[in-house]
Amino acid sequence: MAKGRELKGRIKSVENTRKITRTMEMVATSKMKRAQDRVVAARPYANALGEVLSRLYSSELAERFPLLRQPARQRRVAVLLLTSNRGLAGAFNANLIKEARARVAELEARGAQVDLHVVGRKGIGFFRYVNRALLTARTDITDRPTAEDAASLVDGLMADFVAGALDGVYVVHAQFRSALSTPPTTTQVLPVQPPARSDAGMQRDYLLYPSAEELLTELLPSYVRNSVYRALAETAAAEQGARRTAMKSATDNASEMLNLLKRTYNRARQAQITQEIAEIVGGAAAL
Amino acid sequence: MISPERTLFEGEVDSLVAPAFDGEVGILGGHAPMMTLLGRGELRLGTGAGGRRFAVVGGFLQVVDDQVRVVTEQATEVGAR
Repeated sequence: MAKGRELKGRIKSVENTRKITRTMEMVATSKMKRAQDRVVAARPYANALGEVLSRLYSSELAERFPLLRQPARQRRVAVLLLTSNRGLAGAFNANLIKEARARVAELEARGAQVDLHVVGRKGIGFFRYVNRALLTARTDITDRPTAEDAASLVDGLMADFVAGALDGVYVVHAQFRSALSTPPTTTQVLPVQPPARSDAGMQRDYLLYPSAEELLTELLPSYVRNSVYRALAETAAAEQGARRTAMKSATDNASEMLNLLKRTYNRARQAQITQEIAEIVGGAAAL
Repeated sequence: MISPERTLFEGEVDSLVAPAFDGEVGILGGHAPMMTLLGRGELRLGTGAGGRRFAVVGGFLQVVDDQVRVVTEQATEVGAR
């Protein structure tokens, strides 16, 4: 019963694999829940900041702020790509890398020099492989990004933008729509796009201390940092979502494969027993 | 009261003392609409049942229609008094 034993071995191995993928699915589910909570918790801050900025914003003031500078031509831009440190998340990282490459190609076609900054082992690995110079390559950002992480990523870029060395900063990240939908997107972080004024009825006369100008000076960098923080948080949540989906389909595939293997095994076993009986009956008849 | 990572406090207070960029600012009910930058320091909330204190760094404070919104870069609660 050589074939039977072989099948038994395969059944065992698929069972073990399924155990692993199922565990990873459950771990990813719980991590995703927490990451998702963080995305939701970050929303009030972003909304509050956006609302205040749109209220303070006026085109006369915009002229004076380097962060609001709209360069006529983009000579040198930075693309910040956020990927995960770990794999086994389906096409998650591949999609992000694809989006980043498309974006870089598009910017280069417009005649800009593109600086690439990458977060996450997966993205770094890919660009090392294609021999592209990375200005930043960071792997120290965990599943729980903090506001400080975001600041450390973008502060240098902001300084370059203010100094005129950069004409734009784009962040390529995953959008967390739901566990199943985590499309890669590109967000323009600099120059700052003031959020649209939500409703004019809220327009009030405020006592401003010290002045609209100084408030903007303080709040614009916060807004930029926060955009990056949100991108980090969403990417972290999306990674877990993508991993969960990938592991769920792996578990389903393993179950399907097990069914098939078990059926084949049982059929082989039955065939063998039938054959043995036939042999015995044949032997008895011969006596 | 909001920080980038979460909402720290939400509810009714009697009074609020916040570290503005140039000194402390106290706010009671019926304050005029105001917006100000925050510095670094201690933010005190006076509620019916005693008070709560937070250490805050940066951000801003907004008052509209008896609602105060504190949006800060960093905040941690410093044990109830």
